[in-house]
Amino acid sequence: MNNRKSKCNDQSLIDLLQAEDDGVPAVAEHLEHCQQCQARMEVLAADPQQWRIARQSLSCNQLDAFDDDDFERTWTAKQFHRTQSAWPESVVKQLLSPPSHPEMLGRIGRYEVERVIGSGGMGIVFKAFDTELNRPVAVKVLAPYLAGSGAARKRFAREARAAAAIVHEHVVPIHNVETDSETPFLVMHYVAGESLQQRLDREGPLELCEILRIGLQTAAGLAAAHAQGLVHRDVKPSNILLEMGIERTLLTDFGLARASDDASLTHTGYHPGTPQYMSPEQARGDSVDVRSDLFSLGSVLYAMCTGRAPFRADTSYGILRRITDTEPRPIREVNPAIPEWLELLIAKLHSKSPDDRIGSARELHHVLEQCLAHVQQPLAVMLPESLQQQDKSPPHTTKFARRSVATVCIGLLLLGVVGLALFPRNNGNLSPDVTQPSELSRHTGIMANDPSSIQTTVENPSALRNQRWQANQHEITELIGEAASIQSLIEQEWTIMPDRTESVPAPSQTSK
Amino acid sequence: MPPSPPETRASLILRLPNAADAAAWDEVVAIYCPLVFRLARRRGLQIADADDLVQDVFAAVAKQIEAWLERTDRGRFRAWVLRIARNIAVNRLSRMPLGGAAIGGDWVCDFVETPVRQSELSNQFDLEFQREVFRWAAVQVRTVVSESTWQAFQLTHVDEVPIADAAGQLGISIGAVYIARNRVMKRLRELALQFEVHE
Repeated sequence: MNNRKSKCNDQSLIDLLQAEDDGVPAVAEHLEHCQQCQARMEVLAADPQQWRIARQSLSCNQLDAFDDDDFERTWTAKQFHRTQSAWPESVVKQLLSPPSHPEMLGRIGRYEVERVIGSGGMGIVFKAFDTELNRPVAVKVLAPYLAGSGAARKRFAREARAAAAIVHEHVVPIHNVETDSETPFLVMHYVAGESLQQRLDREGPLELCEILRIGLQTAAGLAAAHAQGLVHRDVKPSNILLEMGIERTLLTDFGLARASDDASLTHTGYHPGTPQYMSPEQARGDSVDVRSDLFSLGSVLYAMCTGRAPFRADTSYGILRRITDTEPRPIREVNPAIPEWLELLIAKLHSKSPDDRIGSARELHHVLEQCLAHVQQPLAVMLPESLQQQDKSPPHTTKFARRSVATVCIGLLLLGVVGLALFPRNNGNLSPDVTQPSELSRHTGIMANDPSSIQTTVENPSALRNQRWQANQHEITELIGEAASIQSLIEQEWTIMPDRTESVPAPSQTSK
Repeated sequence: MPPSPPETRASLILRLPNAADAAAWDEVVAIYCPLVFRLARRRGLQIADADDLVQDVFAAVAKQIEAWLERTDRGRFRAWVLRIARNIAVNRLSRMPLGGAAIGGDWVCDFVETPVRQSELSNQFDLEFQREVFRWAAVQVRTVVSESTWQAFQLTHVDEVPIADAAGQLGISIGAVYIARNRVMKRLRELALQFEVHE
């Protein structure tokens, strides 16, 4: 009895309310029987007015009093965007007609829907089967809250048609656009495989050749869109699909970001992911052109090199600040296996001002193509010129490379000399009558430093030869001096080079 | 090209002085969007028109934010934006004719009626606002508590199922039902507290 009494106090009830876990403590048993505590706890939780409002706002009857179906649907859809949770089956079912086959999820138009393959703020993507053409397709359904607005529907149709006009091997083909039905939708080629995002999540940073291959294919797809004046606006790893088996890269979701311009400011959950791949001009809300996509593609390349997005923060606000204000962490700090020239290329794409970036997707495609060729055949194919120039400024590795180039040059020079020197010796033995004595002796003269070669030359003690030998001796020393001065000249030239590249207005990143 | 919604939103929240303000903006939008829509529909507007009105209100609020940022004596963003959003919403809604019909030449009549309608609307608005806040809070709470905890609240308080029955349905003790429903209510109240506008 005493025990029970001690439990009847506000503090223990407050503690109970405060507790974070869902566990049921011993007090629960007491609460079950003590009406006083039951009433007291209710008061402590909230005042009667609030209890009443809570009931009114959450009760379905209240909504039914003035809501019609359309409203309820719009509102429900908005709720999901706000909470950014997965689309529940009930909403999915609303979008579809009943299936004609029990194993299917539902039907839309002539398409039998098999399952959900993805969802986002814009809509939901199903894997479906085209019953007339007997092929699998991907059906993207416009989110109900967007479908409700006439302007958004019109834009959806317009953008989808523009996207459908892009026929390119690296762009997911659009088969059909249906905007007259209650639920507008878009039918695309079904790509069996995974998105680049899934690949990155699974494997982390990719191999250099992979990075270049995916990058150049994406650039090719983008170039095709840009050629028609279409800006993608949402280039990110989850919009880049990798076909299973052959690993062909396909870009998807063209221009659809704009389908909801007319439903602007309010739909906060519209962008369910983070704005990690936005360009600075997008983040600032300035007008964007094709170069915005190039910045985003730079971020995608960065993600492939490092396994993560370049601009990261806990909140979207933080991410946007980073995109507009800061430089990402140098790639080679994260992954030293990435060559310097690729880091420089990405830094160029990441220029805050669109004017400093590579001018077009086509140009980028061309550069990446050359890079890939260079990586696969380093001796046969040089790096693109733009990246070579960049290469001069940074320190040791290139300095080392420069010096070795110089050494190789001198080495080759000497080797040639030696080769020629040896050549006439054999030849001379076969035919004593030498047609070009002066040249021959010049080269044998170099061999004078080598006792064995002296012996071979002195073996033939002709007076004439001796005379020429002496006459040429002078010339030879001159030649050696010349070679030395050439070497020093070359080396001087190399050391001056970086200064020159720096004096040229180069992107600021290079002077780090 | 005009900016797309994520871009517009991004640019707006970028200009806010800190991240908490950006979160506040998102919450205000989350509550005002269905609120204005609902009230507009109730006044007889078509879905598309109601949607437009929602856009209108937020465009106006966003414009005001520009001015607010210029001010040196600006107070807390949350309180300010709640007040300004309310004023704009009530104002726009009161300009909407009842039944959604266009106002003809009868504007004098309309003008005379406005004060009455304005105050009536104002009360209605505040009540609806409170409800919307709770709906929003419910979504938030639901994501953090377990489903049975939420159901204990929903069943016993909203659907008015007797406590003993609810306990049976959920397979938990009566005491646990009491604890769960009160915990949910307390969290709802705490979240709703942030949206009280102090004049």
